[in-house]
Amino acid sequence: MTDTKTWARVKSPWVLHFNSGACNGCDIEIVALLTPKYDVERFGVKLEPSPRHADVLLVTGCVTQQCAERLKRVYDQMPQPKFVVAIGACACSGGVFEGNYNVLGGVDKVIPVTAYIPGCPPRPEAILDGVVKLLNALNPPKPKKEPKQAKQPELPKEEAKPEVAKPEAAITQTAQQVVEEVKPIVKQ
Amino acid sequence: MSNNKIDILSIVASKLGSKVEIQPGHLSTGTIIAQNGLHRDVLKAMIDADEKTGITAITGLDLGATIGVYYHVHTSNAFVTIKAEVPKENPKIQTIVDLHPGAVFHELEVADLLGVVFEGHPTPGHFVLSENWPIGVYPLRKDVKPQEVKLVPTPASEEIKLPENERLVKIIIGPQHPALLEPEKFAVTVDGEIVTKVEPRIGYVHRGIEKATESRTYLQDVYLVERICGICNSIHAAGFVECVEKIAKTEVPERARYLRVIALELNRLHSHLLTLGHAGLEIGYETLFQYFWRDREPIMDLIELTSGNRVYSSLMTVGGVRRDIKETDIPKIKSTLKTLRGQLPFYRQIYQNEPSIKLRMVNVGVLKREDALKLSVVGPVARGSGVDIDVRKDEPYEAYGEIPFKEIVYKEGDTWARMNVRMDEVEESINIIEYAVDHLPSGPFRINTARSVPAGEAVNRVEAPRGELFYYVRSNGTDMPDRVKVRTPTFANIPSFLKTAIGESIADVPANFVSLDPCFSCTDR
Amino acid sequence: MIDFTLIFRILVFPGFTFILLFTLFCDWVERKIEARIQNRVGPMVAGPGGILQPLADFIKLLTKEDIEPRDAKKTIFKFAPLLAFTIMVFAFCFIPVDGTSVFSTTGFSGDLIIILAFATVANFLLFLAGWASCNPYGTIGSARVLTQFLGYDIPLFLIALTPAFIAGSLQIATIASDQAGKFLPFILMAPWAFVLFVITMQAELEKDPFDVPHSESELVGGLETEFTGAKLAFLHLTRDVQVVFGSALVVELFLGGPYGPVIFGPSWIWYTLWFVLKVLAVVLISEYITTVVARFRIDQVLSGNWRILLPAALLSLMLTVALVTWVYPLLV
Repeated sequence: MTDTKTWARVKSPWVLHFNSGACNGCDIEIVALLTPKYDVERFGVKLEPSPRHADVLLVTGCVTQQCAERLKRVYDQMPQPKFVVAIGACACSGGVFEGNYNVLGGVDKVIPVTAYIPGCPPRPEAILDGVVKLLNALNPPKPKKEPKQAKQPELPKEEAKPEVAKPEAAITQTAQQVVEEVKPIVKQ
Repeated sequence: MSNNKIDILSIVASKLGSKVEIQPGHLSTGTIIAQNGLHRDVLKAMIDADEKTGITAITGLDLGATIGVYYHVHTSNAFVTIKAEVPKENPKIQTIVDLHPGAVFHELEVADLLGVVFEGHPTPGHFVLSENWPIGVYPLRKDVKPQEVKLVPTPASEEIKLPENERLVKIIIGPQHPALLEPEKFAVTVDGEIVTKVEPRIGYVHRGIEKATESRTYLQDVYLVERICGICNSIHAAGFVECVEKIAKTEVPERARYLRVIALELNRLHSHLLTLGHAGLEIGYETLFQYFWRDREPIMDLIELTSGNRVYSSLMTVGGVRRDIKETDIPKIKSTLKTLRGQLPFYRQIYQNEPSIKLRMVNVGVLKREDALKLSVVGPVARGSGVDIDVRKDEPYEAYGEIPFKEIVYKEGDTWARMNVRMDEVEESINIIEYAVDHLPSGPFRINTARSVPAGEAVNRVEAPRGELFYYVRSNGTDMPDRVKVRTPTFANIPSFLKTAIGESIADVPANFVSLDPCFSCTDR
Repeated sequence: MIDFTLIFRILVFPGFTFILLFTLFCDWVERKIEARIQNRVGPMVAGPGGILQPLADFIKLLTKEDIEPRDAKKTIFKFAPLLAFTIMVFAFCFIPVDGTSVFSTTGFSGDLIIILAFATVANFLLFLAGWASCNPYGTIGSARVLTQFLGYDIPLFLIALTPAFIAGSLQIATIASDQAGKFLPFILMAPWAFVLFVITMQAELEKDPFDVPHSESELVGGLETEFTGAKLAFLHLTRDVQVVFGSALVVELFLGGPYGPVIFGPSWIWYTLWFVLKVLAVVLISEYITTVVARFRIDQVLSGNWRILLPAALLSLMLTVALVTWVYPLLV
C-alpha cells in the first residue's frame, strides 16, 4: 500500500510556480520546461494554477520584503505532503542581490526548502534533474539507477536535503510538520 | 504629421530665453536648466511646439545639499533634459501631471525613493517600496544606510475593502496568479463583467538595483543591470555600457558594434517569440504557445553558441564585447535563421487571419494615437497605435544606422495590432542579423579601458524588445557610479493598460495585458 | 435469489470498474493526442507509454491532505464532488456498451431524456461544489459553469431529438440498434445534426473553445480552486467521466452505437470493441477541435449559443421532421 502511495506521488508531481522577486530568467526556464523540447509532462509534471492542487512549490527569486509574506501564505495553502524547490542562485542565497535593502535573500529565510538548484539561471535540464532527484529521494528501494550526472561542471546540483530547514521565527507550525514528515520518508 | 525640422532648443530659447540656461549638445540634444518652477513653462513650450513631446523619465538624484529632479523629454527629433533642483529640507516642486498625464508613474517613483513632494499630485503610501519600509526614509538619498533602517511591522494582511456600491465587485489579480508570471497585484473593480477601475500595486519585484549599483564597480554593474530582466538582458547591459562609454569617450571598435547588434537582435527574436507564444497561452490557445516556444529553442541555442550562455549572454562590456563570433559558427547561425524564416508565413497567417484569434484580439484594448502620445508609451505598444517611434531609427546607436530595416507601424491600436507589430518585427530582426553577419567588419572586438571613469553624466536610449529603454549614468571620477537611473519600457507602458482596460470585459484583461508584453522585474528594478 | 450476473454487470463489466478504467484510459488518450498535436510526447514514465498516468494522479490526490476552507459550506463542499461522480456513473449505466445496458436490459422507453437530465444534475452539483467553496475564483468559475450549461442544454436536447425522430423512439438502445438494422448510421442520414451535436457537446463538456469556466488566465483553477485531495480527485474524475459519457452519447446517437460486424465468437466482445473504438474516434475529433482554436470569451460563448446554435438546432429539427415525414419513407 505504501509502495503504491509512493509510486503515485513520484509519478505525479504537480508543481506550482511562485516568483518571489526574480528577474524572469528562471521563470522563463521553468515555462520552457513545459514546451516541446523539454516536455516535463513525460514525467507526469503538471503546472497547476492553484496552490491547493500542488505538491511541489518551485520558488524563484531573491524574496523581496513584499513577497515574503505572500510566499509563506502560498506555502501554507498547499496540502501535505509538500516540497519546496529553490530554483536559481537568488532563491538559494540571494545571488547578486544579496544585501540590497529590499531583499531578504534566500527562500529558506521564510519557508523550509527541500532541494536547491543553483545556477543563474539553471538550465531547464538542471531544473528537471533537480525535481526528479527530489522525487527519487522519496523512493529509496530502487535508486540503483545512477541519476544522470550534470552535464556542465559549473552547475553542480545539490542532493535533496530536507534537514537544511533551520526553524527560525519565520517558520510556521505547518512548516515544521512537513519537515518531520519528510525526514522519515527520506531516511527509510 | 509633425515636421521633422523643429529646432526645439531655439523655440524654448525664443520663448523663455533669459530665464533659463540652455546648454546645447550636453546630454543628447541639449540640457535646459530651469529653476523655480520654470520647468513647467519649458515643458509647456515644448508640448505646444511638437505633438510628439513626451516624458521619457524623471530622474531624482541626491546632489548633497539639494535634490536634483531631471525631466528627460523626447520630441519627434530631439532628446532634451530639463534640470531642476529642490532643497533637501523642503523638497517641493510643482507637478507636471496636468501637462502630460504620462508622468504619473515617474513622479510617484521619485516621491517614493527620494521623498520629493510634487505639489498638486498626491502620492500617498509606498509606490515601489514594500509595506514594511518606514515612511520618511528614502533609500536613494546618500545619507540613508539601508542596513541601519529599522523595518516597521507589516500592517496585518491587507483586507479587501469592499466597494461602497454593491453592484461593484473587486477582483484581485495577483500577486500569485497564473496569468502573471511575476508577482504584482492588480485590483480590478468590475460592474457585472465590465471593468470600471484598475488599481495597480507594483513593487513586489523591487530589489533596489539602482541603489546597489552605487556600491559596485562599473564592471560589476554591467552584470547587475543585466539581471534587471532575464528576458531582455543584453539590451540592459548595452544601455549601461554605452552610457559609460559616452562619459569616458571610448570609441568602440567597428566589429564590436556589429557583434552587439547581432546579440541584441537575437535577444529581441527570443523575446518576441516568447511573447507571441505567451499571448496564445493567455487566450487559451495552448498549441500556439507550444509551437512558438518550440521554434524559440533554436534561437536560445544560437545565443548560447555566440555568447556561451543560454539566458544571460553577459556579452557586453565597456569597450566592446567579451566574445567574438567564430567564422565556423556563421553557417549554423544562417541555417537556423533560415529555418525560422520558413516557419514565419505559417505564424503570420495565424496571427493575421485565424478566426478565434481575431475574435479575442481585434478591438480589444484599443489605444488611440492621441492617448498613446499623451501617455508616452513606447515600443510595439506605440507602434501598434500608429506612433512611429523606434530608437533604432530615430537616434541610431551601435551599427543600426548602417543596417537597412523597416519600421513596423500598425494603425489599429488594439491587441491584434500590437501582436502583429511583434510578428513582423521577428522577420525584420532576422534580416538585421543576416545583414550584420554578412557585413561583419574585421578588426578587434574589444579595447581595454580604464577601471575608473572621469566625472560626468550621460543619457542613453536604446530600443529593447518591449520598447525604448533609457539609462542615465552620473559618475564622480571613481570606479563606482554616483547614480544610475533606469527607465524600463514596461514602466512607461503600464499606464496605457490602466486606461484601455476600463470599459471592457474582465475576460479581455489577460489578452489586453499580455499585449503590452509586461515585464515587472524591469518595472520595479 | 441473488442475481450474480447482475452484480457482476453492475460492479465489474460493463459497470463501475469498466467505466472507471475506460475513463482513465480515455484521459490518457486525450493527453497523448493533445501532446502529439502540440509536438510533445505526453506522459511517458508512469506505466508503458505513460498509460498509468491518470491512475497515478488519481491515487496521489487520494492520499493528499484534505483542506477545508474556513468559510466553505462544509456539507455541500464535502459531498457534491462525490455525488456528481456517482450520478455520472449512474447515467453511464444506461448506455448500451455490449449491446445492452448495465442492467441486462435495453433500457426503457424515454431513457434518453433521463440520462440527459442526469448529466444536467451532475453539472449542477459541480456548480454547487464551486459555489460552496466560497472562493471568489471558485464562485465565478461555477457561475460560468451554470450559465454555460443552462444555455447549451437547450440546443443539446433539440439536436438529440433528431436521431430520436428518425428512429421514432426515445430509447437509446432502440436508436442505436435501428442504425444497425433498419437504417444507416445517422451520421450519414443527418450529417448536419452530427456536426451541431459535436459542437454543442464541446460546449457542454467545457472544452476549448468553450472552456471559459476553466480559463486559467482569468480564474486560476475555476471552480476547483479550493479543492484538495480526494475531493479534487473526484472532481477531476467527474469531468473525465463526463467527457467519455458525452463521446459515448455521440456514438450511440450518430455512429451506430456498439453495433458493428461480428467476425467470430460471442457478439458482446465485438460490440464492446466497436464501442471503445468509436468512442476513441469521437475523443480524437473533440480533442482535435480543442487544440486548434483559441478560447472564446464568455459573452461570445453565450451569444454564440443564442444567436447561432439555437436557431441552427431548431432548423435542424424542422429539417429532420420534414425528411422523416416525406423523404426517408421513400428510401426505406
